[in-house]
Amino acid sequence: MRHLNTTSSDIPAPPALPQQCVNVGIGASHTGSCPMTAIGLGSCIALVLHDTRHAVGACAHIMLPESGGKTDRPGKYADTAIPLLIGELTAQGGVKRYFVAKIAGGASMFSNFQGKLNIGKRNIEAVRAHLEAHGIPIAAEDVGGTVGRTLHYNPAHGGNISVKRADGSCREF
Amino acid sequence: MELSAQQMDQLKELGNIGASHAATSLSRMLMSPIDMTVPEVMLIDIADIATHIRDEIAAIVIFEIQGEISPGGYVGLYMPRDSAIRLTNTMLGSTDMDREFNEMDESALLEVGNIMISQFLDATATLLDIIMIPSPPDIAIDMAHAVFETIVSQVASDINNVILFRTDLRSTEHEIRGAIILMPDCTTLNEILMLLERLMQG
Repeated sequence: MRHLNTTSSDIPAPPALPQQCVNVGIGASHTGSCPMTAIGLGSCIALVLHDTRHAVGACAHIMLPESGGKTDRPGKYADTAIPLLIGELTAQGGVKRYFVAKIAGGASMFSNFQGKLNIGKRNIEAVRAHLEAHGIPIAAEDVGGTVGRTLHYNPAHGGNISVKRADGSCREF
Repeated sequence: MELSAQQMDQLKELGNIGASHAATSLSRMLMSPIDMTVPEVMLIDIADIATHIRDEIAAIVIFEIQGEISPGGYVGLYMPRDSAIRLTNTMLGSTDMDREFNEMDESALLEVGNIMISQFLDATATLLDIIMIPSPPDIAIDMAHAVFETIVSQVASDINNVILFRTDLRSTEHEIRGAIILMPDCTTLNEILMLLERLMQG
């Protein structure tokens, strides 16, 4: 219970208290300056749009490549999530020419069900194509393969991203 | 998709019968009693799945439901990593906990999953008087959420919530815990509800 001792009033609060961390669930998105996570990415893709000049960013947990005209949950599909994030990030003070994209996920989790469940690969292709169409460069990616990932993104710390893989390895970019 | 309290109860009862048969088969394989929780039926928004299924490493044996209702959705046996190792150790006569999964483990888990899930589907299908058979199984040993979101992407392409049906099983003697998880396709669910309704009316 060591942490209880630090609550004494004559000790000043640490300057950078860990901010609340938002988990971006499947099909959801979040925009702002607080840290974000996307836990347990399998075939889904976490798309991070980071503004390199301003400490803001946006993250979407994309489940499928194409919306087929559905608009009820834009964060769920690659073709609708990208314009959504651009719009939200611009509204929060971001400037599009400073946007870079970082993506993680798109794994193939099953070997036997591959034909049916190999949505990961289609998600990667769709995200890349739509980013290119919107003129946003991909600054870093950790995609494909056969293992799940958990992504942490902190807009405040230079857009730092860490990806923890199910096999225990960890990458930062 | 919405479910009434009565429909939830009916689904729980159906699951209870299926899970009891699965638990009995596990009990026979381990030659040890198995405790079973009352099934939970939850209607969950896909964005909130992470509050129910986290990113801990687990072994998941998964089957597609085939038969008269197809595509029927997915049913699986979920076992946290340590429990899965203990289970295969019990079956293969080993005590080494500090090791990686190997092919023998995967093969043993596939077999346990196959026996349990066949029992589960057979019992529920008999009650509903339809044919439901499991596809050949597949196994993933990975972050639980990563595995389930791949399945969710199959059953929830047009909808934003899923039915998650879960029963926990536990062997105190062998310190093994696991769960049977069912994620029916939307049309399958409606069909099951209709059959249950008919069954209740006698």
